[in-house]
Parts: sequence; C-alpha cells; structure tokens
Amino acid sequence: MVGTGGGAAGMVVAAGASTGLARAETAFSLAFHICFAVFGVGMPWLLLYTEGKWVRTGDPVWLALTKKWSRAFAVLFAVGAVSGTVLSVEFGLLWPAFMARYGGVLGLSFTLEGFAFFAEAIFIGMYLYGWKRLSPRAHWLTLWPIAIAGTLSTLFIITANAWMNVPGHVRELDGKVVSAEPLAPFLSPSAPAQIVHMLLAALMCTGGLVAGVYAAGMLRGRRDTYHQRGLRVGLAVVLVCAPLQLVSGDLAARVVGDRQPLKLAAMEGLFHTRTGAPLTIGGFYDNATGEVRYGIEIPKLLSLIEGFHPDARITGLDAAPPADRPNAALVHGAFTVMVGLGSALIVLAALVALVMLRRWRRGRGGRHRSGADGVGRRPLVPTGRPWLWAAVATGPAAMVAMLAGWEVTEGGRQPWIVYGRMRVSDAVTASPGVGWTFAGTIVLYLGLATALILILRRMATGGRGPDAPALPSTRPPLDDVDDGDPRPVSPRVEADARAGARALGRGGRR
Amino acid sequence: MSAADLLLVVMVGGLTAYALLAGADFGGGVWDLLARGRDAGDQRRLISRALGPVWEANHVWLIFVLVALFSGFSEAFGIIGSTLQVPLICALVGIVLRGSAYVYRAYGGGAAGPDRWWGHVFAVASTVTPFALGVTGAALATGDLAEDDPWRPLTNSFGLVCGLFAVTVTAFLAAVYLCRDAAGSPATEHLVAGMRRRALAGALASGALAAVLLPLLWSDAPVVADRFAERSIPFAVLSAGGGAAALVLLWRHRFTAARVAAGLAVAGVLWGWAAAQYPDLVVGRATANSAAAPEANLVAMLIAIALGMLVIVPSMVLLFRLFARPDTDADLADEH
Repeated sequence: MVGTGGGAAGMVVAAGASTGLARAETAFSLAFHICFAVFGVGMPWLLLYTEGKWVRTGDPVWLALTKKWSRAFAVLFAVGAVSGTVLSVEFGLLWPAFMARYGGVLGLSFTLEGFAFFAEAIFIGMYLYGWKRLSPRAHWLTLWPIAIAGTLSTLFIITANAWMNVPGHVRELDGKVVSAEPLAPFLSPSAPAQIVHMLLAALMCTGGLVAGVYAAGMLRGRRDTYHQRGLRVGLAVVLVCAPLQLVSGDLAARVVGDRQPLKLAAMEGLFHTRTGAPLTIGGFYDNATGEVRYGIEIPKLLSLIEGFHPDARITGLDAAPPADRPNAALVHGAFTVMVGLGSALIVLAALVALVMLRRWRRGRGGRHRSGADGVGRRPLVPTGRPWLWAAVATGPAAMVAMLAGWEVTEGGRQPWIVYGRMRVSDAVTASPGVGWTFAGTIVLYLGLATALILILRRMATGGRGPDAPALPSTRPPLDDVDDGDPRPVSPRVEADARAGARALGRGGRR
Repeated sequence: MSAADLLLVVMVGGLTAYALLAGADFGGGVWDLLARGRDAGDQRRLISRALGPVWEANHVWLIFVLVALFSGFSEAFGIIGSTLQVPLICALVGIVLRGSAYVYRAYGGGAAGPDRWWGHVFAVASTVTPFALGVTGAALATGDLAEDDPWRPLTNSFGLVCGLFAVTVTAFLAAVYLCRDAAGSPATEHLVAGMRRRALAGALASGALAAVLLPLLWSDAPVVADRFAERSIPFAVLSAGGGAAALVLLWRHRFTAARVAAGLAVAGVLWGWAAAQYPDLVVGRATANSAAAPEANLVAMLIAIALGMLVIVPSMVLLFRLFARPDTDADLADEH
C-alpha cells in the first residue's frame, strides 16, 4: 500500500474492511463445510462396525441401524461434497494472492486430497445404491475404501493447513516461490499432531451425535434394543476418543509452543514473556490491559507443562509488536471453550467407565446371568435419565469444541495467512462486493442447514410428521424400486427391527 | 513436452470427463426443468435414478481440474479468481443447490418442504451451472477481463452464447444417455420416444448454436480464432462427424452407439478449443509457461495423478458396470 495522504488512508480502511469480511466469509464457509465433513470421516467407520455385525449375525436390528445411518450419511456427505467445492474456488476468489503464490507448494496435498475424495464418492455411489446389486459381504466391503479415503482426505488437507502454520522447505525470491520441495506440506512439523487431533475430533463429533440421537429417543421412552445399540456404539466412540484427544492435544500444544510461540501465548492469555509462567484456566483475556479476568491461576504450571521445568521461560504476546499479535481475547476464549468441553467429555468417559466396571463385576457375580444383549439383565452402559441427557450433550459439545479448536488454530496464526511469510491483508482480494457474497453465502447456507436439520430430525425420530405426504402413493412410484430406497422412512425395516428386538427380548427371558 | 504441457493435457482429459459425465447430469436437470405433459413425472424419476449412484463421483472431475489448475498454474488461478467472480459464484451456487436439492428430494421425504420445490431448485440449478461455466470458458478465450468490472464476462454476446451452448450440449448428452436408460427396462420403455425426440432436437440446437459461435469467435476472440483455424480443424471435423453420426444413430434407435458418437461430438468441441487456447490460459494475461509452478512440484503432481488414476479408473469402471444394467422387476420383489 504505497501512497500519500488521505488517499492511502482511505485505501487502508477499505482493505481492512475487505479483509475482515473475507476472513468472516472464509470462517463461515469452512465451519459449515467441516460440520458435514466430519461425518464423511467418522460415519463409515461406525457403519463398518454395525453392518459387519449384521453380516456376521444376520440380526435385523443391526441392519436397521445400518440402513438408517447410511441414509443420513448420504445427505450429509452430499452437502459436505458441494460445500467443499465452494471452498476450493473460494480460496481463489477471496485470497487470490495467496493461491497465486503458494498454490504450487500445496499442490501435492490438494491433488492427493482430490483423489481420496474421488475414491470416497465412487464407493459411496456403490454403497448407497448397491444394496440389491451386491452380496451383503461385498456391500460391506465397499465401506472400507470409503472409510480409508475419508480418513486420508483429512490427513491430506490438514497437511496444507499445517504448512500454513509452520511453513518450510520453500525458497522465495522477491515474493515469488522459486523452488519448493514437493513434500513440503507433509514435512511441516505441525502436521502429525494436527492430523491426529482432527481425526479424533471427527470421530468424537460423529459418535457424539449418533449417541445423542438414540439417547434422545430413549428419553422419549423408546428403550428397545435398537436404541440401546445405537447409543452404545456412538457413546463408545466419543468416550474412548475423549481421553486420547487429551494426549494428542498436548502434543499439538507442544508443537505450537515450539514453532508458534505467539499462538501459544494467545491461547494461554500470557502477555508478559517470563519464567515460571502460571497456567490460567478460563477467564476473559483483556486485549487492552493484557490480563486475564476471572481466570484461575495456577503458579508455574504453564512453564512446567511446556518446558518440563517450573522456571522455564515462556514467550508472551509482548515479544511481538502489536501489529503482529493475534487477537488473544478471541483465541483464549476459544481455547477455554475447547478445553472445557473436552475435559467435560473426559470426566463423563471416566464416570461411565466406572459405572460399567461396577456393573460388570456385579454381573460376573452370577445373579443375572440370563439374557443376551442387555435385554434380560441390566445393561452395562448406564441409561438413567441424567446419563441420557449427558449423552445427548456429547454431540453438540464435541462439535463446538472442534469449531473452537479451529478458531484457536486459525485465529492464533493471525495476522499471517502463511506464518511469517504472507500477511492476511496482503493476500486478500481487491475486488469490491465481498460483503454481498458474504451475505449471499449466509442466506444460502443457513437455508440449506435449516432444511437439512428438518430432514435429519425426521430421519432421527423415524416417524412421519403431520406435514408428511398422507399416502405412500403420493411418493413417486419409481422411487419405491430404487436401490437407494429413498423413501421418507422405511417403516418395514423399522417394524422388522422392533419385531426382532421383541423376539430377542423373549428369547432372553426364556 | 514439458511437465507443464503434460499437466495441461491431463487437465483437458479431466475436463472432457467432467463434460461427458457430469455434463450429462446437469443436462438431466435441464430436462427435469422442461418436463411437461403426461409423462413428466416418469421422466423426472428416470432422470433422478440415472443420477443417483454416479453424480457425486462425476462431480469430482471438476475438483480434479480445479486443483490441477490452482496447484499447477497458481498465477492463472489468481487472475481467474479476481476477474471471473460473477460467473464462478453463479456456478458455485448452482453446484451447491443442485447437489443439496437432489439429496433433499431423494431422502428428505418432504420433511423440509414438498419434494416438488426441491425438484424445481434441482432443475434450475442444473441449468444455471453449465451456463455459468460456459461463460467462464468464453472469458478465458477472449481475455476481455477487468479486476474492477466483475460483470464484464456477462455483457458480451460471445460469452452469453457460449453459456447457452454449454446448456444445450449438456441437455443433448443427457437426452442421448437417457434414451438407452429408458430403453433398458419395460417400466420405462414408454419414455424412449420422448427422449429420442429431445435428443434429436438437442443435436440440432447444438449444431445451430455452434454455427452462430464461429463468427463470434472471430470477432470477440481473434487470437484464439486464428489458432483455431490453424490447429483445430481436425477436432471440428471430429465434432461435426460425431454429431451427424449421433443424429443418424438416434434415428435408427441405436442408442448405445449414439452415446459414443455424442460423446465424440462434445469432446471434439473441447479439444478444438483447448488446442486453440494453448499456450494461453487466460488470453493476454497468463500463459502455460508464465503461470506454471516450479518444475519439481509439477512432476510430483503428475506422479501423484498417475498413481491416483491407477486406483480411480478401475474403481470408476466398477461403479459404471455395477449400475449399467437397468433395474428389473426382480429388484422390486427383492425389497427389504
């Protein structure tokens, strides 16, 4: 921005507004996309389990769960796919200078991600529409490429983000990349921890929301085998991953402290560079004073955690000039939310594990040996009302924690789009009208999200609402023979499931 | 041939796959929009079922081309991003609405508004997307772009006719493909006659628009036009021959062969344009050489693409073979 007097000031103001809007639009579309993308990662693994159980046992309850989830998955994956396309173009529309300079560096990540997405889309077509054209075993096998490709696509895309956080292996001259190691994104020290952290987050979100759907059903009195199993599978995923997430988060924070000390300072709300830095839990960081209000301060703990010594020196925000500091109020707030919700999930995991252990010991005592599959005896997983409410909360908690985590990653990198190499304000588009596209994006995405929630709610409750077509015949007749079975609900499957559950119940009590 | 040129060839291949596969999916939406009369409902269901298993995989070809463009020719992508926002945003909105509306109609069961509404959204979005992409392609050929005038691509007649041409061509492809789908099952045989009429009309309309486009190409994109005369005549002949063959084959109810001929007709247009466009990516702004990423990165991408295709192509063949056979009544009896 070269210029003199008022003209230059005007341009700076315009660029500032445009940068803010472009960042907001990017954040909004990324957040929208990622809420769907996590199911593309997590759901196939859950389906592999439930459909595998059905293939092995022939139990209709497992089939009913699988069919229900595959239908929800179909819708979620499609919305994730199209919103992902928006992102790939939007980077060029909003950050043309960034893409022009570093597109080649990130080429391998995006190319490989594209292929993973390709594989996922191909096999999802076979999976969703191949129920009758494939044997049960072959149908189950199509889930493997979906699950592996979904996981790999996360891995590839996170390497691109990791490189933006800790860029390296690139030589630049006068603002142009003259040579870059093709594997640069994969060599970013930030990549391993970020990848594991995100994969676990995707599994937790999927597991939590699945558990929540069935917990909500049980709260309404539907305490059949179908709901119990749905709850168990979802809860197992979210609660097993929660403690693992603590470990991976710790690793990620170490890399941040090492490579992006200002981000760590913003996360912890530490203004003054010092030895023996305290760990501040919660509270609100004040950008004006550089202090955390209402936080709980534990002396020397941050130094101990990060440097393995109570007097280790920790970089504070004051190490950089104000223009180079991230917005610590926002980053510390997001970090607090993420850690708070993550800790709550870990506590829940511990409590559930404790109850399960006690019930298992008591069960082994031999008084309630009868019954299979949790029907004839007390199930291991606690299903009292408070427990169910907690299970309902796990999904939203995991989702919000994940979004907050992304705010920490991205907000903490500011004002850089590529850490230490390119500023966000230098990457942003000069074109007017970002405000209009942002407004349009919000309207479009909120409309689609609302419709999607209505559809998923219908799928989750499994019944027809009052506004549903009165007769099945009002549905297109051809759809009834469709492989994808895209009817509003499959009442027969539901009925089969309930009948199966009843039969099992009787079997158990005999 | 340099790595950049090789990557361009791969991108044209990807674009061809996108046009022939996803293009037909969009064209199906155009026919959904235009469906009228007694058979309208059956036609819409035929289209919807043809899309079901494959549209997402077909869509990924666009992502493939986009990724190759922004990774391999980053500077060109930067220029496109800052001058072609309006048609690109239209295409994106179309892509998002088409995909969402399709699954909302197929799986929503009316929970979020009547299926009919989503059907309309699906149809309109399917028509807007190829139009916007056609306008984008035209702008790359004319180079008539400005950072401060994002609406310019939509104000010249060449761009608009190109958009219309893209819509017509996708509709033509879809109708040809649907003829065979409809003929494959007794339940849909009554739709063949209508689809065949549409395919014939689509072929004639595409040919007429192509005839209009040629003089416009010379007036609006002289650089590309000169190279077109120099290099692209064989492709133009291929395209015209394919189109004529498709007409004859449709007339004689040879629907499988008509698919191949129609595909060649469309591929000929794309290849002729690509040959005339080279070495410019955006005429007057970016060439293959000026915009290319460092050689080592291009080679790495090409290796990744080669390895990726080893997995993707067989998978895709498997997908198409699995769903090539139309549903039979046996499927109905087999309902869970």
